[in-house]
Amino acid sequence: MTQTNPFIAALAQRGLQAVVVALIVGIVSFAMMQALPGDAAYRIAAGRYGYDMMDAASAELVRQELGLDRPFWAQLLQWLGALATFDLGQSAVYGTPVIDEIATQLGYSLLLAAGAVVVSVLIAVPMGIAAGLRPGGLVDRVSLGISILLRAIPAFALGVVLVLIFAVQLKLFPVAGFRGPQHLILPSLTLGLGLAAVSNRVVRDAVVEAMDAEWRLFARTKGLSARLTLVRHVLRNASLPVVTYVGVQMAYLIEGVVIVETVFAWPGIGHALVHAIFGRDIAMVQGTALALGLIYVALNLVIDLACRAIDPRTRAT
Amino acid sequence: MSDMLLSNLQTARWPKIKAPRAAGFVMLAGLAICVMIGPDLVGQDPAKQSLLSPQERPSAEHLLGTDHLGRDMAARLLSGAQLSLSLALLSVLTAGIPGTAIGVLSAWYGGWVDRGLGAFADAVLALPGLLLVLMLAAIAPGSWWALYAGISLTLWVEYYRYSRQRARIVLSSPAVEASRLLGLPVRLILLRHLVPEIGPGLMTVAAFGAATAVTAVAALGFVSVGVRPPTAEWGVMMTELLPYWREAPFLILQPVACLVITVLALHLCVGGLHKR
Amino acid sequence: MHLRSSAALVAAVFLSLSQAFADTKPVTIAAPWEVASYDVAVSGFAIQKLEILENLVDADENGVLEPGLATEWAASDDGLTWTFTLRKAVKFHDGTDFDAASAALALRRAWQQPGILEKAPITAIEAGDGTVIFSLSTPFAALPSLLAHATTIIPAPASFDTDGKPVALIGTGPFAVEKFTPPQSISVTRFEGYWGDAPEIETASYLAAGRAETRALLAESGDADIVFSLDPAGFSRLSAVDTVKTTAVPIPRVVTLKVNAAHPFLDDPRARQALSLAMNRKGIATAITRFPESVASQLFPPALNMWHNTSLSPLKHDVEAAKALLAELGWAAGEDGILVKDGDRFAVTLRTFPDRPELPLIAAALQDMWREIGIELTVDVNNYSMIPQGHQDGSLHLALYARNYGLTPDPVGTVLQDFGSAGGDWGAMGWDRPDVAEALARVAATDDEAARAADIALVTKAIQDELPLIPVVWYQHTVSVAQDLENVIIDPLQRSYGLSEMNWAK
Repeated sequence: MTQTNPFIAALAQRGLQAVVVALIVGIVSFAMMQALPGDAAYRIAAGRYGYDMMDAASAELVRQELGLDRPFWAQLLQWLGALATFDLGQSAVYGTPVIDEIATQLGYSLLLAAGAVVVSVLIAVPMGIAAGLRPGGLVDRVSLGISILLRAIPAFALGVVLVLIFAVQLKLFPVAGFRGPQHLILPSLTLGLGLAAVSNRVVRDAVVEAMDAEWRLFARTKGLSARLTLVRHVLRNASLPVVTYVGVQMAYLIEGVVIVETVFAWPGIGHALVHAIFGRDIAMVQGTALALGLIYVALNLVIDLACRAIDPRTRAT
Repeated sequence: MSDMLLSNLQTARWPKIKAPRAAGFVMLAGLAICVMIGPDLVGQDPAKQSLLSPQERPSAEHLLGTDHLGRDMAARLLSGAQLSLSLALLSVLTAGIPGTAIGVLSAWYGGWVDRGLGAFADAVLALPGLLLVLMLAAIAPGSWWALYAGISLTLWVEYYRYSRQRARIVLSSPAVEASRLLGLPVRLILLRHLVPEIGPGLMTVAAFGAATAVTAVAALGFVSVGVRPPTAEWGVMMTELLPYWREAPFLILQPVACLVITVLALHLCVGGLHKR
Repeated sequence: MHLRSSAALVAAVFLSLSQAFADTKPVTIAAPWEVASYDVAVSGFAIQKLEILENLVDADENGVLEPGLATEWAASDDGLTWTFTLRKAVKFHDGTDFDAASAALALRRAWQQPGILEKAPITAIEAGDGTVIFSLSTPFAALPSLLAHATTIIPAPASFDTDGKPVALIGTGPFAVEKFTPPQSISVTRFEGYWGDAPEIETASYLAAGRAETRALLAESGDADIVFSLDPAGFSRLSAVDTVKTTAVPIPRVVTLKVNAAHPFLDDPRARQALSLAMNRKGIATAITRFPESVASQLFPPALNMWHNTSLSPLKHDVEAAKALLAELGWAAGEDGILVKDGDRFAVTLRTFPDRPELPLIAAALQDMWREIGIELTVDVNNYSMIPQGHQDGSLHLALYARNYGLTPDPVGTVLQDFGSAGGDWGAMGWDRPDVAEALARVAATDDEAARAADIALVTKAIQDELPLIPVVWYQHTVSVAQDLENVIIDPLQRSYGLSEMNWAK
C-alpha cells in the first residue's frame, strides 16, 4: 500500500461524503415534503399570516407568488441549480434568505449543543469512572438510580423544574432568553443532564470491561502501580466507546435541542426546522437539513480522528 | 484460556438468580399483568371525563386521582401501559436487531462491506432524525405505526455504532483470530467471544432505549405531533399534564414514575449479565 | 437599525446588553407571538403592539377611533371616496419625512397583500396633497376601522429594497428597533424625534416565549415585567405571587365550532341545536379555560357592544333535549350506543389545531360530551390551514377554532366575510341565508347607528337560531404585570402593549 497520510485520506473521504450527503438530503427532504398530505400553499399561508388572517384567498396568492403549481421536478432542479452556486433560496414563509436564517439559528444551536456536551462530560466521566472502579458498589447503584430517573423525565419537565429551582427560587440564573452567557447555563444543564444519564453508564461499563481485560493482569505483574494502570490502560481503553458514544449523542443533540429551545425561548435551528416542516417551507427544510447533515459529516471526521489517536488497532483498516 | 471463556459463557447462559434480578423479574411480571388486563383492573373508563371534578387528589373512588379533564388517572396509566410498553419493546427490537446485525457484519467482514455499510448508515444518519420522525408523523397523522417507524429509524444508530466499535476490537483479538484459523463455526465464535463482550453494553443501551422511546413520544407531543385524543400513552400524558405541574405535581409524576419503574425493572433484569 | 450578520453572531450572543443601559430600567415583555419577518403583512401584529410602526387611524381601549398618522378623515356624499388628511411634521426613524407618497405606497402594498384591506371594496389608493384618497366600488363605512389594523401600519419607503422586498422595520412610532433576532426577540429604544408625547420608558425588549409554562416562570422570577397570554394554571398560580399583578380582560375572541351545514347529518338546524345542547359549556369554562363567567350564551361577546344582542335567549345545556331532537330526525341508538340512521353511523370528524393549547382540550371534552348523545367524534389535531382548505373542498365536517371579531375596532368586515353570501373560510359553511347576507351588506355601507341596529339584530338572531357556528366560550386576555410598573393599559383589541404610556413607580 502506498504511504498516504491517514489524516488526508480521512479528510478526502469525508469531503466526498459531504457532497453525497448534500445531494441525498436535498432530494430526500424535497421528496418527503412532496409526500406530505395537505396543500403546501395553504400551509405556507398559515405559517405567514397566522390563524386570524389566513384564508383560502391568501393561500391562492401564495401559490401564484411562489409558483407552487409548477411540476415538482422543476422546483427540485431549481433548488439543486441554485445550490451549486451556494444559494439556498429564500424562506417561503418569512421571505428572508435561508442562509441568513440558518447562520443565526445554527450558531445559537451549536452553542447550546456544545454547552450540553461539556456539562454531560463533566458529570458523566467522573461519575462513570467512580462507578466503574467498584461495580456493584454504592456509587454504582446510586448513579444507576439517578440515571434512570433523569432518563425517564422528559426534557421539558426537567427544564421547568430546573428553572423553578435555580431561577425562581435561588435567582441564580435567568429563566429564558439569550442575552448573555448566564442564559446558556440552564438550557445546557437540562440537555446535559439527559445526556449524562446515559453516557455515565457507558463510561462505567467501559471502565468495568477495561479493568477486567486480561492485559491488566499483565500490566500489574509487570510491576506498574495500580494508579498507573488505571491511567495508561483502563482509561485509554475505556475512552474508545465513550468517544464514539459522545459522537452519537452530538448527532442527536443538534436536532434534539428543539424541546429545550422551545422551553427556554432560544432561537435555535431545531425550533426553526419544526416550524419549517409545519409551514411547508421547503427551502428552509432543505437548507436546515443540509446544514445538519454537513455538521454530522464534520462530526464523524472528528470522531474518526479521535478514535485513531486513542486506539492504534482501529487504524488497521 | 478457553476454559475460562467457557465458564463465562455458562454463567451468561444460566445466571445465578440474585435478589436484585429477582426483584427486576417480579416488577416486569407485574407490568406484564397490568398490560394484559389493562384498565379493567380498576374498572374505570380511561376516556370518561368529569369536568366538574378535575385534578382530584387520590381517593377511594379514584385511586390515583383524576387528571385535568377529570379522567381517572389509574385507568389512563394502565391503558397507557399497553401502548407505551409495546412501543418501547417494538422500538428496541426494530432498532436493536438490525442495528446490531449491521454493526457486527461491518466488523466481521471489514473492508468494502464495512465501508459500504458505513457509507449507507452515514447517508441515512445525515438526514436529521427529527426530520424523519416529523415527516413520518405528518404523513400519517395520528398513526402509531408512523411514530414507531420514525423513532426506530433514529434509534438504530446507537446499536450500530456501539456494536461495530466493540466487535472490531473483539474480532481482532488473538483469541478470535485463533478460533477463525482453527475453523470453528461462525456461530460459535460469535457466541463465545462476541456476545459476552458486547452483550452487557447493548443491554444497557436497550434498557435506556426503552425510556428514550417513551420520552420521544412525549417530546413529539410537546411540538404537537402525535396521537389523537383521547388516547392514553405515558409520553402523551407527560405532555398533557405539564401545564398543571405546579398545581398538581402528583399528576405528571405518575407517568414518569411508571417509566422509572419500567426502566429500573429492565436494568435489574439485565444487571445479572454484567460482569460482577 | 441592526441587520443580522452571520459573522458577528457568537460575539453578539455574548455581548450582553452592557451598551444601552440608560437612566430608566428597561421593560421586558414576554408573549407567545414570534416575529420572524420584516414584512408587516406577516408580522404586523407584533410590530404594531410594540409601537414601532403606526397606523393612519388609532383606537383607544374601548375601540373608539382616534387620529393616528391621519388627523381627520371623511367620506364623499356618495360614500365612494374617502380622504384621509395626514399629520404634518412626522419623521420616520431614519430621519426621512412621512408624506402622502410614503403612506400611499405602504397602503397600496398592504392592499395587494393578503390582509384586512382585501375585505373592503377598494378600487384605488392615491396620494393627494397631504392626503391619501381611497376610491371604493360600493360604500363601506368601516374603512377607517380597517386602517387601524396591524396589516395597515405604515413602514418607511427605506424599509424596502430596490425590488420592493421588506428588509427593515422603520416606522414613525415612539420606539425604534435597536436589535432584531428573529424569531425570538426585538429590542427597542425611545425614538427622540417622535411627533407625539415622549414616553417615559427609554428601552424595552420583547421576548417570544412559545410555552405558557415558560412565560409564567418569567413573570414569577421577575425576568419579564409584562407577560401576555397566560395559561389557566399559570394564571391562578401568579395570582398568588405578590411581586406581580394579574389581570384578565374580556376580549372579542370566541371559541367556536364551525359546522358544515351542507353535510347530510348536519343540514337540519335541529341537528346543530342538538350538538349545542349536548355541550356542557359550564364544565368547559370551569375546568379548561377557568373563567366560568365566560360561557358563551351567544356568538358575539359583550365586548362587541352593538353586536352582543341581549334579547336573545342564551344557549342551554340539556342532554335530554339534544337526544330528543336527534330522535326527531330519525336517529336511533345502535348496538354500541352510537346513533344510526338508514345504515349510517353518526360518526363525524372535528378538525382543530394545537397553536392555542386549550383547543385540543375542548375538542377532547366535546368528544366525551357527544358520546353521551350517541355521536362518535374523531378529533383531528392538525395545521389550522386544514380548516379553510376543508371549507373550500367541502371535506370538512366540524372545526373548532378561536375567531377574533376584534381584529378591527368595528367588526363588520370580519362578520361580513364570515356570514356573507356563500359563507367564509372561518365562518358559515353551506348555510344559505340571503337575508342575512343582504342585512350585513347594509350594515357595512352605513355608520348610522339606528339604521344598523335592526339589521344587526336580524343577523345575530339568525345565527343564534340556526347555529351555522356554535359558540363555546368567550375569551379572557390574561396578563401579568410587575408590581412596580404603573399605568399599564391592557388593550382588549390587542393593538398595543402600552409601552409609551407606562412608567416605573417612583
